[in-house]
Amino acid sequence: MQTAPHQIDQNIWLYIKLPQLAIEAVTTNTAILLKEVPVAVAYSHKNAQCIDCCNQSAKAWGVDPLMSVSTALAICPDLTVLTKNVQQEQQLLQQLALIAYRFSPEIIIDTDGLWLDLSGCAQLFNGYNRLLKKLYTQLCRQSVNATSGVGKSPMAAKLLCSTKFHQYLPDSGEIQCALMTTALNTLPSTNKQQQNFKQLGLTTIGDLLALPRSALSQRFNSELMDTLQQLQGDKPCLLTRFKPANEFHSAVQNPQGLYSKESLLFPMKTLLQRLYQYLMARQCYSRKLVWRFEPLLGKHQFMTVRLSGSNHSGSSLLSLSRIQLERLELPSSIEQVSLFCDQFTAMPGLSFDLFGDQMSLQENTAELIDNLNARLGAEALSRPTINTEHLPELAGNIGAIDQSSDPEQQPGQTQKPLWLLPKPAPIKLHNQQLYWRKPLTIVSGPERLCGNWWQSEQQRDYYLACDSKGARYWIFRESTNKRWFVHGIFA
Amino acid sequence: MSSEPLLDSLLLRHDTWRGRNRSLRKHVVATGNNSLDGLLLGGWPVSALTELVTQQDGIGELSILLPTIKHYTSEDKLCVWLDPPYQPYAPSLVNAGIPLDKLLIVRSKNSKEWLWAAEQSIRGKALLFAWSNKAQPRYSALRKLQLAATESLAPAFLFSPHNALKTHSPALLRIELESLEPNALSITLHKLRGKMPGAKIQISVGDVMAERMLLDKLPVNIHYPKSQQSGYPLSKKDDLQSLNT
Repeated sequence: MQTAPHQIDQNIWLYIKLPQLAIEAVTTNTAILLKEVPVAVAYSHKNAQCIDCCNQSAKAWGVDPLMSVSTALAICPDLTVLTKNVQQEQQLLQQLALIAYRFSPEIIIDTDGLWLDLSGCAQLFNGYNRLLKKLYTQLCRQSVNATSGVGKSPMAAKLLCSTKFHQYLPDSGEIQCALMTTALNTLPSTNKQQQNFKQLGLTTIGDLLALPRSALSQRFNSELMDTLQQLQGDKPCLLTRFKPANEFHSAVQNPQGLYSKESLLFPMKTLLQRLYQYLMARQCYSRKLVWRFEPLLGKHQFMTVRLSGSNHSGSSLLSLSRIQLERLELPSSIEQVSLFCDQFTAMPGLSFDLFGDQMSLQENTAELIDNLNARLGAEALSRPTINTEHLPELAGNIGAIDQSSDPEQQPGQTQKPLWLLPKPAPIKLHNQQLYWRKPLTIVSGPERLCGNWWQSEQQRDYYLACDSKGARYWIFRESTNKRWFVHGIFA
Repeated sequence: MSSEPLLDSLLLRHDTWRGRNRSLRKHVVATGNNSLDGLLLGGWPVSALTELVTQQDGIGELSILLPTIKHYTSEDKLCVWLDPPYQPYAPSLVNAGIPLDKLLIVRSKNSKEWLWAAEQSIRGKALLFAWSNKAQPRYSALRKLQLAATESLAPAFLFSPHNALKTHSPALLRIELESLEPNALSITLHKLRGKMPGAKIQISVGDVMAERMLLDKLPVNIHYPKSQQSGYPLSKKDDLQSLNT
């Protein structure tokens, strides 16, 4: 009652511990299956294999961390033993840090957990309890087991880490009380110091903090004093803060090999979900995805998906990649799928209009261009461009869709055709009569257009002509060789 | 069992024609030409496929649609040109007030891609202009486009060659464009809900032009032996050019 919410606002650190990290990092696909099967992760220690971490069902058999693998297998013959992979653990922690980054700007990555500075993050989420609830749902989606602890400093939060994830925030009194009753042997300190604590009859952190500081500093070295200051939050934590990487790169291994394009979609989906987390954390959209498919034997294959940079949801990126994948020739078996992304655009500051029409229209347009691009290829799409040139074929051209043209073109005075022939078509001349499809009659003209005199002199007199059926053409005669050509059609 | 639910569900469908029910014709966009609006009962039908059958290129078949393109592109809509027969000439589009970055030219490699791109464009809420150059699309393909168009907010236009008139079309509106005399486009109605086919109008396209000239009467035609007038005075030539504007 006595603790108003704003009082605990000063400094709140959350520690997320991942007790099963070693297992979760090495088994990505079959994680669900492994819940019922006893699994342990082992590491090599002085030529012996030791258990590093084991799951609940292995524990039920009596397998414990630090046990040697041979003992564990003797106790539990069905035990699946996996090899510890520190690199993959780090990758998983990075992924989780990206998720946590959406909840707090200050993240510190520990060896098997994360610190989040929650101070001041309550406003955005309408209270700490909602924040914790959302964070927990996000973590559950990643199928990781997480436990949490809350404290006034990173060290306190880690010390107070319990065996489950708390979805509510304890008030400051509770935190203080829990910290005071924590056993002293959990405090990071040397063996000698622990012995000293015992000799002094100190069992909890509260006992230690009750002693006057001056007396403590005389009895113990300055390191312990530092530790205590950090524990109470008097000294800032100097560990490096997490920052999202400048480019995204992630891979999914599949040792058994994937044999069809449909089965490739599963690892692709996983990778796109990771990308989505990354993009959300960095508040940007991707412009280009590069997929790499590595077969067991032979050369790897690349697939580039270009995006207009306006949508980023996993499902739309997946459908685009899928459309493009259909066009790709792949080796028979794929062992590793990786996704690389290094071109981004800032997420536009969206202002929703009242009826939402404009927003959805722009999204539709971007999605349409992306879809057409993925299925037909970039070469199938183009856009008319305009240049300040005299010759019609240079003034109006066709360019790539991301190419912008010069809009400062002065509207011309004369009537211009809507269609331009890619190459001027020669007109036959019989008996002073022009023939192209049908006999042509000149209606108006001429307009003299010259251009590129430094290359080859082109002097053309343009006329408007029509045939007996009423079709109108833009024809010209070259001054140099007196030949007639059709250049445009007034559609 | 009564047939009422069946009838109701049929009537709910957008593509069921109900005699002289004009209420369906509310969703139109003005063509920019009063007599054409009159022929089409208000304008181009929105959320529908419109088929324009042309006798030949160059009779003004695209210019009658320029106001519509301008209208939709000014609303930030994308205008997709699927397989245009020639290259669109940018300066004349700019003269017509059409922003070039709202145009997208799509080239398909086969009829399957053509249909896919057309359907995607309609479903992507873009204004579609499609040309069936390679092969006349099948009835079922066009029916697919017409159904997709009913959910769209923009009209979809299909340009067909003259021999398409031999086959039926699922398009909501089908008109034939031909030019019997220069500068006049005659439009024949072949199919429109709520109006008898066969109605015909004539609209003028292009500018009022100068008189027709024979080749040997051309001002710069100094190189033909028949012509006696060599070395035209410059002022005379300017006069003729101004007629062109």
